[in-house]
Amino acid sequence: MAKKSRVSPMFKRAVSHIFTKPATTKYPFVKPQLPDDFRGQQVYDIKLCISCGLCSRDCPAKAIEMVEVEGKRRPQFKLDQCIFCYQCAESCPRNAIKSSVFYELATTDKSSLVIKPHASVQKGE
Amino acid sequence: MPNSNIDIINVIESKLKDKVQIQLGQLGKAAIVTNDGLHRDVLKAMVEADEKTAVSAITGLDLGANLGVLYHIRTSNAFLTIRAEVPKDNPKIQTITDIIPGAVFHELEVADLLGVVFEGHPSPGHFVLSEYWPQGVYPLRKDVKANEIKLNPPPPEEAKQPEDEKVVKIIIGPQHPALLEPEKFAVTVDGETVTKVEPRIGYVHRGIEKATESRTYLQDVYLVERICGICNSIHACSFVETVEKILKTDVPPRAKYLRVVALELNRLHSHLLTLGHAGLEIGYETLFQYFWRDREPIMDLIELTSGNRVYSSLMTVGGVRRDLKDSDIPKIKATLEDLRNKLPFYRQVYEDEPSLKMRMRNVGILKREDALKLCVVGPVARGSGVDIDVRKDEPYEAYGEIPFKEIVYTAGDTWSRMNVRMDEVEESINIIEYAIDHLPTGPFRVKAPRVVPAGEAVNRVEAPRGELFYYVKSNGTVFPDRVKVRTPTFANIPAFLKTAIGENIADIPPNFVSLDPCFSCTDR
Amino acid sequence: MIDFDLIFRILVFPGFTFILLLTLFCDWVERKIEARIQNRVGPMVAGPAGILQPLADFIKLLTKEDIEPRDAKKTVFKFAPLLAFTIMVFATCFLPIDGSSVLSVSGFNGDLIVILAFVTIANFLLFLSGWASCNPYGAIGSARVLTQFLGYDIPLFLLALTPAFIAGSLSIAVIASSQVIPFIILAPWAFVLFIITMQAELEKDPFDIPHADSEVVGGLETEYTGGKLAFLHLTRDVQIVFGSALVVELFLGGPYGPVLFGFSVFWYSLWFVLKLLAVVIITEYITTVFARLRIDQVLSANWKIILPAAVLSLMLTVALVTWIYPMVV
Repeated sequence: MAKKSRVSPMFKRAVSHIFTKPATTKYPFVKPQLPDDFRGQQVYDIKLCISCGLCSRDCPAKAIEMVEVEGKRRPQFKLDQCIFCYQCAESCPRNAIKSSVFYELATTDKSSLVIKPHASVQKGE
Repeated sequence: MPNSNIDIINVIESKLKDKVQIQLGQLGKAAIVTNDGLHRDVLKAMVEADEKTAVSAITGLDLGANLGVLYHIRTSNAFLTIRAEVPKDNPKIQTITDIIPGAVFHELEVADLLGVVFEGHPSPGHFVLSEYWPQGVYPLRKDVKANEIKLNPPPPEEAKQPEDEKVVKIIIGPQHPALLEPEKFAVTVDGETVTKVEPRIGYVHRGIEKATESRTYLQDVYLVERICGICNSIHACSFVETVEKILKTDVPPRAKYLRVVALELNRLHSHLLTLGHAGLEIGYETLFQYFWRDREPIMDLIELTSGNRVYSSLMTVGGVRRDLKDSDIPKIKATLEDLRNKLPFYRQVYEDEPSLKMRMRNVGILKREDALKLCVVGPVARGSGVDIDVRKDEPYEAYGEIPFKEIVYTAGDTWSRMNVRMDEVEESINIIEYAIDHLPTGPFRVKAPRVVPAGEAVNRVEAPRGELFYYVKSNGTVFPDRVKVRTPTFANIPAFLKTAIGENIADIPPNFVSLDPCFSCTDR
Repeated sequence: MIDFDLIFRILVFPGFTFILLLTLFCDWVERKIEARIQNRVGPMVAGPAGILQPLADFIKLLTKEDIEPRDAKKTVFKFAPLLAFTIMVFATCFLPIDGSSVLSVSGFNGDLIVILAFVTIANFLLFLSGWASCNPYGAIGSARVLTQFLGYDIPLFLLALTPAFIAGSLSIAVIASSQVIPFIILAPWAFVLFIITMQAELEKDPFDIPHADSEVVGGLETEYTGGKLAFLHLTRDVQIVFGSALVVELFLGGPYGPVLFGFSVFWYSLWFVLKLLAVVIITEYITTVFARLRIDQVLSANWKIILPAAVLSLMLTVALVTWIYPMVV
């Protein structure tokens, strides 16, 4: 173990870090700041939908199923299969699917992750 | 640099004039059609002419009545393909592992998945598939349906004890704290010195290459992105580049620069991850925590530019999916400047910290000749003095217009490989800043047809771990016919088998982490 | 006649309960210091500022299923951790904590050697517990424990003799109480070497190799679950407290310090705990700042550097005490 003329900077840095603020975000007491176009849960606007089915055809994870609602075919989102790639939003010719920043989707009830289409599904449901 | 001006096509033409057929411009610089074992002669001629000849990948194809075997070879200034075909009822072809030892894994995989028998292979056996797989069923053949295969338990095998009492076999894996993902390494030790390492990969094999054949090109972009969590953008980018080569689409310049920004952000977070992980393996938890603390702002940048911290999903056939907002640019530059100011501290730790140098210097030395023969790629090769970097050898996207340095160290030990990655972090920061400053205006996407005409193309890019290779064959429908992926860790594991021999068993974790293994990539 | 005072001293203060609570408290201090050096928060949820976290970990382990491998040697497997824990606590009881040790008449000339022997026996029992689990990782881990502590025991004894020589007695109580000037000032070289050797004895970074989880999974703890694992962890924590307490007694003047008002017992305990925390913080700092050395590097450091340095330190101290200090002090 030959003595080097320079000392490792780790010694001083370790001591100075004891007195600095930790870099941890104390989630869930403090929530992180997310950008506006974060790919969270989808927001589906039933008023703009034309039932073309392109979202269901293009979904890579087969998470969108067209179901009959009030006589028309509407998309039903299965959030436990969704990979949040937003190809559905891109394929939709009428911009009926938009993004939101809601990401706290964990639940103990799997059936609550199937988002059935009915008039204007808002985020958090 | 010697040999860098050799025209390899002339060499092959002069040596094997009438016996092979050379198609220029196909599958790289040229495709050479051989049969009856002449592929060995072509390879021998190339190896004698150029010392940097290496096997990039070996693709197996199901062509109906025949099985195609494509050898993709890279040399110092060219990338070629050698085509060979064998009939399905007698799929025997001669091995090339005596000419290029690094082809061992590639041949094993084609044998396992397609049923080609390589005569003279040193250690045949199951490689990617499990021992429960039924005999004679080869999943990549077209007549095999994935959901109709039944697994049967293998016949019980007596445990073979090594003859010498002092020789002990330690199994590292499949579940082990040193490995991030499951693979098994049976390490034979004599006291505390390693004498042999036998790998068994395939624990994370998900059959992605077969899965691409039943999804459209648009859906496949998301599927290949999920081959690896760390280098996801690179996989997507390489796939869309290959499809664009078949379609002969021209991507707008703004999209090329935006792709470069996304790829370099990916490289940044991957290198910081490895540098931290290496600290953890040598027991230096403080260094690990510091590196990962500095990696968090990069993840926030990726979230800012693409909407998700890990899977950026930015690439699509014809460009990128979203634009870079001008309001985001100051934040990107501020974060990168912060990271650049933190690098001198880490460089000094690597230079001066005594316990780190005791664990990393002269550990796992890979000599230059071994690196060339075993066809290693990426920072592992650049740490041993072999200067290969796809961004410099065959520039893609906007890399031809952006100035940056290629980092090469010559010592070949763990310490050099880590230093290569640390210097590449600085180079990536420079590249991103240059790309943002010189971002061209214009569209960031062109519309691409969903039906791809029949054709095939190869493409290679520089992933954080090395050269990533893609081959796509299309048949005129919306589904691809064959997608072949060769990931860099797949090419680097034979180097680990070589460097571990003769070392202390306690050196296996840092040695192993220095080649930056990503087993999800390896197994697909 | 039942001596309630003695029973109180053995069971509550400064005996068993006090040592246990001190162990859990030192564990919390260690984890907080390590976290702050690494720019993180550390335990923060269990109790105010996470102070109940070590207790929560202990109770969690007690509620887990206790599995015994079929081929393990049953008796040794079951009782070695418990016996190691008992011996460590017993050894700690010999140290004067509140002015006198737990059994006030137990201090005798030579108890320094006895408690160092107890430490060796406890380490040996830990080795046996790993060896009896019939697991290749346990075997490698326990073999490393044995090689390491046997090697470092010799310089530990030599360096522990240095304050004994200055004080002129082998009784810990006498050494602690004769430190008018703390021995850290009279023999600082011995203090530095003793801290390094104690790091190796306690198996902390950079001598962490028996617990290296990236190589030997769990080392000697691999096959242990549930209550037995809880006792193995507790043994390790008590060892750390014992090692730091020994440093306090031999070099920092033990529990003796200025008594400002009221009971001397209270002040002696307070000074003891404060000095103990200082030593724990120093050893934890050394742990976080270095990487882990390989076993051959650890052993060559011992035989080539630490042992000759310990011998030289003893010779230097003898020379100073015999000729220099009587002229100065």
